[in-house]
Amino acid sequence: MSILEVNGLKKVYTTRFGGNKVEALRNVNFSVEEGEYVAIMGESGSGKTTLLNILAALDRPTGGTVQLDGKNLASIKDSAIASFRREHLGFVFQDFNLLDTFSLEDNIYLPLVLAGKQYQEMHSRLEPLAKKLGIISLLKKYPYEVSGGQKQRAAVARALITDPRLVLADEPTGALDSRATDELLRLFNTINEDGQTILMVTHSVKAASHAGRVLFIKDGEVYHQIYRGDSTEEQMYQKISDTLTVLTTGGENR
Amino acid sequence: MKMTFYPKMAWMGIRKNSRMYVPYLLTCAGMIAMYYIMAFLAFSNVLLKVEGGEILNSIMGLGSIVIGVFALIFLFYTNSFLIRRRKKEFGLYNILGMGKANLAHVLIWENVMSFLISLGGGLTVGILLSKFSELCLLKLVHMETGFSMQIDWEALCRTVTLFAVIFLLLLLNALRQVRLANPIELLHSEQVGEKPPRANWILAIAGAVILAGAYYIAVSIEDPITAMLWFFVAVVMVIIATYLLFIAGSVTLCRILQRKKKYYYKTQHFISVSSMMYRMKRNGAGLASICILGTMVLVMLSSTICMYVGAEDALRGQYPRNINITVATYDQAGLESGICEDLTGQAEDAAKALGQKPENVIDYKTAAIAGSINEGQISLSKTTLEQYQVDSYSDLWQFFVVSLDQYNRVMGTKETLKEDEAMICTIKADYKEDTIAVEGGKTYKIKKEVEQFVPLASDAMSIFASMFLIVPDFDAWTQETEALLAAIPPEEFSLMLDRKIQYCWIYGYDLDCEDEIQNQIIAGLKNSIETYKGQHPGTNGEVFEIYSGGVATARESFYTLYGGIFFLGIMLGIVFVFAAVLIVYYKQISEGYEDQSRFEIMQKVGMTKREIRKSINSQMLTVFFLPLVTAGVHLAFAFPLIYKLIQLFGIDNLQLLICAAGICFVIFGLFYVLVYRLTSEAYYSIVSGARER
Repeated sequence: MSILEVNGLKKVYTTRFGGNKVEALRNVNFSVEEGEYVAIMGESGSGKTTLLNILAALDRPTGGTVQLDGKNLASIKDSAIASFRREHLGFVFQDFNLLDTFSLEDNIYLPLVLAGKQYQEMHSRLEPLAKKLGIISLLKKYPYEVSGGQKQRAAVARALITDPRLVLADEPTGALDSRATDELLRLFNTINEDGQTILMVTHSVKAASHAGRVLFIKDGEVYHQIYRGDSTEEQMYQKISDTLTVLTTGGENR
Repeated sequence: MKMTFYPKMAWMGIRKNSRMYVPYLLTCAGMIAMYYIMAFLAFSNVLLKVEGGEILNSIMGLGSIVIGVFALIFLFYTNSFLIRRRKKEFGLYNILGMGKANLAHVLIWENVMSFLISLGGGLTVGILLSKFSELCLLKLVHMETGFSMQIDWEALCRTVTLFAVIFLLLLLNALRQVRLANPIELLHSEQVGEKPPRANWILAIAGAVILAGAYYIAVSIEDPITAMLWFFVAVVMVIIATYLLFIAGSVTLCRILQRKKKYYYKTQHFISVSSMMYRMKRNGAGLASICILGTMVLVMLSSTICMYVGAEDALRGQYPRNINITVATYDQAGLESGICEDLTGQAEDAAKALGQKPENVIDYKTAAIAGSINEGQISLSKTTLEQYQVDSYSDLWQFFVVSLDQYNRVMGTKETLKEDEAMICTIKADYKEDTIAVEGGKTYKIKKEVEQFVPLASDAMSIFASMFLIVPDFDAWTQETEALLAAIPPEEFSLMLDRKIQYCWIYGYDLDCEDEIQNQIIAGLKNSIETYKGQHPGTNGEVFEIYSGGVATARESFYTLYGGIFFLGIMLGIVFVFAAVLIVYYKQISEGYEDQSRFEIMQKVGMTKREIRKSINSQMLTVFFLPLVTAGVHLAFAFPLIYKLIQLFGIDNLQLLICAAGICFVIFGLFYVLVYRLTSEAYYSIVSGARER
C-alpha cells in the first residue's frame, strides 16, 4: 500500500503586489510505497524545495492533493498540523537545524518532549538509536563542538526517534564533506533496510544513486523516473547522470 | 571620489539602522538635555535669591557631575550595541573594496552627524525645559518668581565640551574595533558559536551569601548612627550580590533544574530552562544593572519624598514652639538668679511689640548629663566606659532630668511618684531595665514609661539616644550627682563626656501669625537678647549660653535644602528610569535578532507558532520582571535602614515612608510594564519577520 500519494499538485507564487505569478509546481503526480527509498532530483529552481515544503505541511498547495496514509493533508486543521508533523514525519535538513542552546541529546529529545513523553521512555528509545547511528559518545556535546557529519547524524536521530511514517530529507549531504556524505548515505541505506520509508530531495548524483527509485523534476513536473532494480550503485550512478544529461541538454526539444 | 560620498554613506547607515539608531540618538539628546538643565541650575542666579541658595547651586552642581559620569558610562554601553550590529555591514563594505581608511571616514561622518543631531535636539529641549525645571525647583523650595527665558552660556559651553569629548571617545572606540577586525570576522561577527554557559557555583554561592549578609545588616541594625555607617557598606554589598546572582546564580539555577530530569523534560520547561540559561548569560549584567538602577530610583525617591513631605515634622521636632529660647549653664544658682524671668519678659515684649500674643507656652528646667547605661547604671567615668567597651557615640545616651512638678505643669497631668520612683521617656532607643541609677547613686524604680514629653530643640537633630528622667525631687538628684561627679578624678573622664551637670531652661511659645511677622519677632528678640547677654555674661565663673530661634526662619532654609535634595532625587530618578528603559529596549532588540533563527528551527521541528509564542512569552516575562521584583525585594529590605536614616533628619513617620515607597514602586512598576508592552511588540516583529520575508 502506498504511504504517500501526490495527485495533480500545483503551486503558484504571487509576488507581493500581485503582479507576476510564478508557477513553481505545475502538475506533480507520484506515489511512494511503504519501505521505499525515493530520491527526487532536479536543478535549482525546478520546484524541489517547494514540493518538499508542501509534503512537510509547511506550505499549502494551490491545487491538487497530498495524501499521507490515506489522509489528505489539506484537511488537517491549522492547529493540529504541528502535532501531525511531529508524529508522522521526520525531517533531515541540509543545515542540520539543531538548536545551539541544547546538547545533542536534548536536541534529539525535542520532538518527544513536545509530544509530552516521559523521560524514561525517551531514554529507552534513544539508546538503540544512538548505538545504530554511532553517536553515543557525542550525546552530551553541544552542536558547536562537533563536526558537520556528527551534527547530521544527530539530526537523523531526531528525525527517527518519533518512529515516523516517512522521513523527509532536504539535501541532507549538501553541507557535508565526501567522507561524511558516504557515511550518511550508508546510514540511510541501513535505516531503509530496517523498513523506514525515506523521501530525499537532492541534486547530488551520488546521493541519489543510493536510492531505490529516482524521480526527476523539471519545470514543475515529474519529467522522468528510474528504478534501481538489480543494478549496482555504479550502474545507478551512470543511469542518473545520463538522464540528467538528457534532461539539461535535450530538454528544449521535448 | 565626490565630496558628498562619505556623508551620504554615513546618513544611509543611520537611516538603515534606524531601529538601533533612533533610540541611541534619543538617549544622547536626553542626556545632553538633562546635563544642560543641571548645569543651568548650578549656575542660576535666580536660585541665589533664595535663602541658602548657594546650597541649591552646589547640590545641582553635584547632580550635574553625577549625570555627566553616568552619561559617559551609559552612552558607551548603548553605543556598544550599535557597533555590534553594524560590524556585519562594515565587513560587507570591506569585502566590496572599501579600505579601513574609507570605513573610518564613514564612521567619522556618522559620529559627527549623530553628535550634531543629538546636540541640536538635546540643547533645544534642555533650553526649553531649563526654565520650567527652575520654576519647579523654586516651587519646591517655596519661592515665587517671574518667568523669563534665558540661556546660560557657561552651562551651554560645558555641555557642548563634555559631550564633544564623550563622542570623540565613542568614535575612537568604534575605530579601534573596526581596525582590529578582519573582513571575514566582521561579516560573521554575529554568529560566533556560543559555548554553553557553565554553572559557576562559587560565584553563585558568594552572591547569595553576600546578599544575605547585606539583608541581615539592613534588618538587624538598631540605631540610626550605626545605620548611617553601614548603609554604604550594605549598598555596595547589594550591588555586588545582585550582579553575582544575576550572572552566575541564574545560570546555576537553570543547571540545577536541568539535572532534575523529571522536571526538565516537560514540554513547558524544556525550552524555557535551556533558553533562559543563555539569555541570562548574555543579559545577566544588563538585567542586574536595571535592577540596581531601579532600586536606586526607588530608594532615592521614597526617602527624598519622605524628607520633603515630613519637613514640617522635622521642624516641629527641632523647634517645639514657634519661638524658642534655651539657656544653658553649668551653674545651677545662675539659672535661679532671675535670668529666666528677664528673658520671659523680653520674649513677651517682642511679641507684643508687633501686636501678637504668645500662646501654648512651655517653660521648664532640666539637668543634662551624658553617659552610657549598663545594667541600669548610668556610668560616667572613663574606666567603666572602657570596661564595657563603649567606643562609639552610638552607645552613649543623653539624660535630661526633670522634676515631677515641672512635668505635671508642662504636660497638664497629675502624676505622682514615691520617693524612690521615677518615670522615663526615651527617644531613638529603648530602655528595658526596671530601675535606673547614676553609678554609685540612688536607685530609682521606673514606675512607668511615658509616651511623650516636649522635645528639646537640641534633641531632635542629635544623633544620640536620649532619655527624659522624671524624678520626684530634682534638687536631691542634682546634689547627689554633683557629689558623685566631683568624686571622679579628672583624668578618669572620657573626652567624649561633659564633666559637670548642665542646667537648662527651656522656654517657648506659639504664635498665630504669618511667617513674615514671626521673622520680625524673632529678629527683635535676638537683638534684645544680644544686649541682655552683654549685660549678664554669667554667674560664678560659668557663662550663660543663650540660644533663640524661630521656626519661620528655619523653615526657609529647611525647604531650600530638602526641596533641593528632593528635586535632585526626581531628576536622577528620571535619568535612571530612562536608562533602565533603554537597556530593556536594546536587550529586546538584540535578543530578537538572535532568536530569529531559533524560532524558525522550532517551527520546522514541530512546534506551533502559538506554542513558541507562549514559551517565548513566559521567558520574556521572567527575564523582564526579575529585575523589577528583585528591586522590590531590595527596597523592602532597605526599608528599616532608610527609616533609621531619615530619623537622623528628625523625621519619624513610618506611615509616610511606607506610602512614599509604595507609590514610588507602583509608578515605577507601571512605567516598566508600559515599556514591556512597547518593546515586546518590537521584539515580536523582529522574530516573526524572519518567516514572512
